Amino acid sequence: MAAAALCWALRAARQVLPSPCPRQARSYYVDWRMLRDVKRRKMAYEHADERLRINAIRKNSILPRELQEVADKEIAALPRDSCPVRIRNRCVVTSRPRGVKRRWRLSRIVFRHFADHAQMSGVQRAMW
Amino acid sequence: KDKSAASKDSTPEGASKRQEDGAETPKQQLLDIIGNMKVEVSYRKKLQQLKASESKKQALNKLEGLDSEGSVPQGTTEDIQRGKPLNPELVKAASAVASSLPRNKKQTESELLAQLRRHEETTDKQKKGGTLNIRNVISEMTVKRQTPAQRTAGISGRISLQLDEDGRRIRSERSSARSVGSRRSLKVGKRLNIFTKASTEPEHTLKTVSSPTIWDLEFAKEVAAVTAQPPRNGFEEMIQWTKEGILWEFPIDNEVGMEDDAEFHEHIFLEKHLEGFPKEGPIRHFMELVICGLSKNPYLSVKQKVEHIEWFQKYFEEKKELLQEI
Repeated sequence: MAAAALCWALRAARQVLPSPCPRQARSYYVDWRMLRDVKRRKMAYEHADERLRINAIRKNSILPRELQEVADKEIAALPRDSCPVRIRNRCVVTSRPRGVKRRWRLSRIVFRHFADHAQMSGVQRAMW
Repeated sequence: KDKSAASKDSTPEGASKRQEDGAETPKQQLLDIIGNMKVEVSYRKKLQQLKASESKKQALNKLEGLDSEGSVPQGTTEDIQRGKPLNPELVKAASAVASSLPRNKKQTESELLAQLRRHEETTDKQKKGGTLNIRNVISEMTVKRQTPAQRTAGISGRISLQLDEDGRRIRSERSSARSVGSRRSLKVGKRLNIFTKASTEPEHTLKTVSSPTIWDLEFAKEVAAVTAQPPRNGFEEMIQWTKEGILWEFPIDNEVGMEDDAEFHEHIFLEKHLEGFPKEGPIRHFMELVICGLSKNPYLSVKQKVEHIEWFQKYFEEKKELLQEI
């Protein structure tokens, strides 16, 4: 019985454990601005449903105006970081706020660097 | 088998003969052995041997009856001497019977002794356990004879393009015949005791494994870390990645992680959730629009849609006093 439990635990552990292969392990964000951006994203995710529903009540022509005003006040009372407008798509590698291509989440400089070293799959220097 | 039995007989017989006759030249012994090896396996001879053994048994009984001194123990024939040479008294009896019978003395004696030995061996076997008597096994088996009609049907079926109707009919006939035949052979017949019943252990369903302790988990992790070798080639690397979740499983399943067991009508017909709302007024109008939108939404699960509607219900109940003022 104990042996069976051990075997199961072994199997589970094998799957979960990261391989001993050397790989970049990042334990810190690049800078504080990136960290704040991460916090904002988390909060936005948590409050997304509420915001959607309250906004549905607000942007309405059927419900009475008083109700809509109450909803306005409610949405303003939510924490500031919960709105998605405050999220900035920063570069994942350098935390650069500008010049970031959405598809790769990289700033233009990093993108160029990787592409030239042939580390971007399917990306080629344009020539026509 | 018979030859080995005969050889077995020859040695103890030779030994017994040596005891009986005293000093015998090795040449004589050899001759005896060769003479004993003439035990043949033909069916007629077997019958004759059986008859001879029966007569010998009767003679033995007579001898036992005559020997009122009681020197001969009663159950000589049933005396079990596993692998040992035959009882010298048996041998004496055999020689006496052989002398009484009108035939080549030595040959009959050897045959009788061979029969005796075989008899003892079978009794030993039977006493030990159920032997596989091949006769019983074969008796139950019957040679299945296909009727010529069936044969022709089979051949025609193979040759011709298997038209569904005809093929079905032929197949059904054959299958029915086969099933009938198999049914008969399965349920009818005495047990052969070939297969031993596997002892059905009560499967330990109540294996109350107390959830593996932290120490067990840690130990397991340690072992896994030690035994995990770095991948030798690209395939193993990909396997590792798949296990970790970095690589998707191929062929790609678009619905991995999504388990929506609800039917389509649960997604579309959401009016039953609108029972808590007033039947008239702007709120009802608003909620009907909400439901219309939700029914067209393929991205949410039924649970999420129901939660959506319930949130609205709660919200409007909180605002009831306000609404009544209006």
